[in-house]
Amino acid sequence: MKFTLHIWRQENARAKGHFETYPIDGISPDCSFLEMLDILNEHLINDRIAHPVCFDNDCREGICGMCGLYINGRPHGNDDGITTCQLHMRKFRDGDEIWIEPWRAKPFPVIRDLIVDRSAFDKIIQAGGYISTTTGGVPDANMIPIPKHAADMAMDAASCIGCGACVAACKNASAMLFVGAKISHLALLPQGRVEAADRVRKMVCKMDELGFGNCTNTYACEAECPKLIKRQNISRLNRQWIGALFGRDRRE
Amino acid sequence: MKLDSKIPSGPLAEKWTNYKASQKLVNPANKRKLDIIVVGTGLAGASAAASLGAMGFNVDIFCIQDSPRRAHSIAAQGGINAAKNYQNDGDSVERLFRDTIKGGDYRAREANVYRLAEVSGAIIDQCVAQGVPFARDYGGLLDNRSFGGAQVSRTFYAKGQTGQQLLLGAYGALSREIARGTVKLHTRSEMMDLVVVDGRARGIIVRNLVTGDLERYAAHAVVIATGGYGNVYYLSTNAMNSNGSAAWVCHRKGAAFANPCYVQIHPTCIPVHGDYQSKLTLMSESLRNDGRIWVPKKKEDAEAIRAGKLKPNDIAEENRDYYLERRYPAFGNLVPRDVASRAAKERCDAGYGVGTGYAVYLDFADAIQRLGKDVVEQKYGNLFQMYQKITDENPYETPMMIYPAIHYTMGGLWVDYELQTTIPGLFAAGEANFSDHGANRLGASALMQGLADGYFVLPYTMQNYLADQIYVGKISADAPEFDEAEKAVRERLNRLLKIGQVETLRAASPHSVDDFHKRLGKIMWEYCGMARNTESLTKAKQLVTELEDEFWKNVFIPGTANEMNPELEKACRLEDYFELARLIIDDAMHREESCGGHFRTEHQTEDGETLRDDEHFMYVAAWEYHGHGQPETMEKEPLVYEHIQIAKRNYK
Amino acid sequence: MNLPKIHSITKKILVGALGAFLGFFLLFHASANLLILRHDGGEWYNAFCHFMGTYYIVKVLEIGLFASLLLHAVMAIWLAIENKRARPVGYKKPTRSKTHRGSKVQMWTGILIFACLIMHFTDFYFVKIGWVQGKYMAKSEDVVTLKTIQPEAFNYAEQHCEYSAKGNWLGNFNADDKAVLEAASLEVEPDFYHKAREKFKILHIVIAYLFFFVVVWFHLRHGFPAIFQTFGLYNYKYGKAIEVLGQVFNWVVCLMFTVTVLGVYFGL
Repeated sequence: MKFTLHIWRQENARAKGHFETYPIDGISPDCSFLEMLDILNEHLINDRIAHPVCFDNDCREGICGMCGLYINGRPHGNDDGITTCQLHMRKFRDGDEIWIEPWRAKPFPVIRDLIVDRSAFDKIIQAGGYISTTTGGVPDANMIPIPKHAADMAMDAASCIGCGACVAACKNASAMLFVGAKISHLALLPQGRVEAADRVRKMVCKMDELGFGNCTNTYACEAECPKLIKRQNISRLNRQWIGALFGRDRRE
Repeated sequence: MKLDSKIPSGPLAEKWTNYKASQKLVNPANKRKLDIIVVGTGLAGASAAASLGAMGFNVDIFCIQDSPRRAHSIAAQGGINAAKNYQNDGDSVERLFRDTIKGGDYRAREANVYRLAEVSGAIIDQCVAQGVPFARDYGGLLDNRSFGGAQVSRTFYAKGQTGQQLLLGAYGALSREIARGTVKLHTRSEMMDLVVVDGRARGIIVRNLVTGDLERYAAHAVVIATGGYGNVYYLSTNAMNSNGSAAWVCHRKGAAFANPCYVQIHPTCIPVHGDYQSKLTLMSESLRNDGRIWVPKKKEDAEAIRAGKLKPNDIAEENRDYYLERRYPAFGNLVPRDVASRAAKERCDAGYGVGTGYAVYLDFADAIQRLGKDVVEQKYGNLFQMYQKITDENPYETPMMIYPAIHYTMGGLWVDYELQTTIPGLFAAGEANFSDHGANRLGASALMQGLADGYFVLPYTMQNYLADQIYVGKISADAPEFDEAEKAVRERLNRLLKIGQVETLRAASPHSVDDFHKRLGKIMWEYCGMARNTESLTKAKQLVTELEDEFWKNVFIPGTANEMNPELEKACRLEDYFELARLIIDDAMHREESCGGHFRTEHQTEDGETLRDDEHFMYVAAWEYHGHGQPETMEKEPLVYEHIQIAKRNYK
Repeated sequence: MNLPKIHSITKKILVGALGAFLGFFLLFHASANLLILRHDGGEWYNAFCHFMGTYYIVKVLEIGLFASLLLHAVMAIWLAIENKRARPVGYKKPTRSKTHRGSKVQMWTGILIFACLIMHFTDFYFVKIGWVQGKYMAKSEDVVTLKTIQPEAFNYAEQHCEYSAKGNWLGNFNADDKAVLEAASLEVEPDFYHKAREKFKILHIVIAYLFFFVVVWFHLRHGFPAIFQTFGLYNYKYGKAIEVLGQVFNWVVCLMFTVTVLGVYFGL
């Protein structure tokens, strides 16, 4: 297969970026999108055309959350429930023009080419996205029975891989689905309920502080989430927030 | 080099209790005066840093990715073993210990494995308290499934994403410590060298992958939790950035490397389909609970399938060879990984393979008929979806095609009972050490080991080391040893960058790092993979050496060392892989027996099973580095089995 | 200037709550409008308008309504500015994500609604506060009183209005009549019944209003379910039901408005 690639090139965080066009030919339809970029890079290196295109990737099986490209107007490309590494070239037509852009959001500055800095997500988690436990001194695992449906819902929310596609897709660059998924995961479990009000307060404040946009219920995040995390989690986040606003344990 | 495994005295079941009772501790007020470096944020690294941070130590943690949550532990699918006996099916610490020793083909250290089994239950408790959403029964209690090499159901799981959930639990604990200020996180930072001062590990040199700057960090102790070296083989189930370099630089600085030839080949991976392929995707071992593995019984059927004339569903039941069930009636499709992998290779080599000839079927038709599509979907839905996305085939309708692939490395830095390497103050945890799995690891045991090391072993044993370090005071990163190490790293980077920059080379056709890596992988897979013999290993060594020579002449690394440069990162790792590959080959060559993942064709039983030589090889081979290109020397740590009865490993 | 810090979700909740209030007003407004379709010379409708124009609780609510409208818009614009800032560098390729329809045009439909409201207010509300002139009416008993005190003025009223046969109101004065009657110290109120009946006979005005309703429909289509989402009431159990309820509400409100306007136009 043959494609024309338009790729965002930016030398470093301070440099001004631009689109560069690269034709590529002889790509197998079974090739994954990132393997196609590997082939391009191989070509750029061997023929000394340019510095290879930098893009984040790691596990290449859709679980680490490292990869993330904005391909032809969609984060992770034109398919549902996948990450960029799971996108295969058979999803394109021969001769397609492909525009490849990095995630765009104020809290996700570009580091180089298609690589962005997503440490903002870590900061949100550090603000309270956990259950405060220290090692040891915990009850037996079966001491806390959890209804199956609650455990299943928590699992669905917890399957977030932190790739940032929700932020990339949202017209407001809002991180509500990411935060909502983490809040839901922990709020659905009895272990997490103890700190629930405090957690939602801290995480939302941190999210605002980092410069993510506001949710306007567009649900592009839901449509683009590679793990198909539902908007109900944002609703639960809102509910938790209202609860925390009027909650009795409000300390501030 | 002297190997002292420091196994505590006393009966096996009391060793760990005795150790804890008599070890040295650090006073709470002193803990914050002691610095610890943890390299790697996978299960072992994150759990160790979180636990040590919570205790009050000053921890610096490093990872090469943009977030601790990207570590490849996240990709573990199937589950985590623990001797909880929640299913009342006869499980116990003793049983888990025995299964693990047997699974490892009697090449693991008894005391370590027993401790692993002993703390396994506490891991589950810890994870549940952290909010890991393990699968549950309708009564709200935890559910289990069974895994290869065991006859009990002791595997806890969270859909097909157990590793992810456990890592997120540890990442949560780590994040909490980062917020509290006890742990400092350094992302996109690669450890380039270990700094040894007066024989003790005192710090590391790190390359900031964003700016290219070299940074120094000093500490009283260093923990290596950087995973295995499976990517020597290029195509593996490891992540693209998984590498063996952090462990390898420690080896260069004097840490012994043990059992490098023990490499696990996972039987259920999606087969290779093209030259451009960058990695192999694992299909969880849990699929073998309900899936049945087969190839056509008749060669002509196999040929017709390969030619595309027949579909798998056209083969009648009586013409299918369920070879695992045939050869191993007792364990059937649930034999350990090495056994299942070799059996698949045997069938394909004999000409019964499907697909490209290097694939066998994993069929769910029976399970779908027996349990219904809904139940199968609930159990394995995400795996089936993943398979379909990659291959464009629907596994509900046509059997999956699978083939073995490199998955895990049992070998690693040699550690004693305290998980301390031969360099005092340097510890290794998780896949990076060699400790608990012997010659083969059982499914769902890697997660268990990583977390056991991080949560429940290192927090104790490191204190024993650190107790007297309080007298040393703050370690300075300005020591001459740091200058030297940093200078060496800088020189190394420049040396690599210079290769392809030579003007005369411009006319020639230089190759990218990946190109060399692919070729190295092919050599290793071909001649030092699932089956090895003197001839193939000799050939492998020769080819690796030739390839390395070519690498030093022909590789082209664009860019500079002072910027983000993934090619340079890969080149450094590949440089280490060449040495590592040779060590794997040497180790495989010297081990004149077959055991677990190490299969020497000269040493097999009549029906193709591994043939151990307990008399001569019941030891851990720990290798010492003597400089680039110099042969390494081997030290033996004899394995003494006081508790367990050595037997032939039999899954029939 | 230090603005009070309002968290993103709280802002959303405010926009939603105000929107909900405005939504209920619309339902109320639309159902009351149906009275225009009665051929009673405006008896019921004008009685309703009189109640709305004079009852003190309604007056308080009226202030609340305008405040809500304003605040709803201000908060929404505030959010929009913040949202714009969250992505300083945009994408080259426009998004092709499947999103909730209407959500992306909410801002624009909101602005259009404001534009349409100016038209609507010019036609009706500004008449009430005296900014523009329209149709007026006077209470019939007052007119009767007038008859005894100022017969000329009474005659004038009789000649210049469409007499409501049994109603309490004498209506359909124009602005000049209003001046005369007011000079005779009569309480004169706007006659929205006749004004509406007159306006909605004109084709281009009918079209303008239909456009208005379409815009409102688009705004509500996203707004209604979004309120539930923002209030955290959208869950797995009732999600679908809320969507349906939202559509029903939306259609009911917009159809009631449309029926009124078209009913007048076609002389129902």
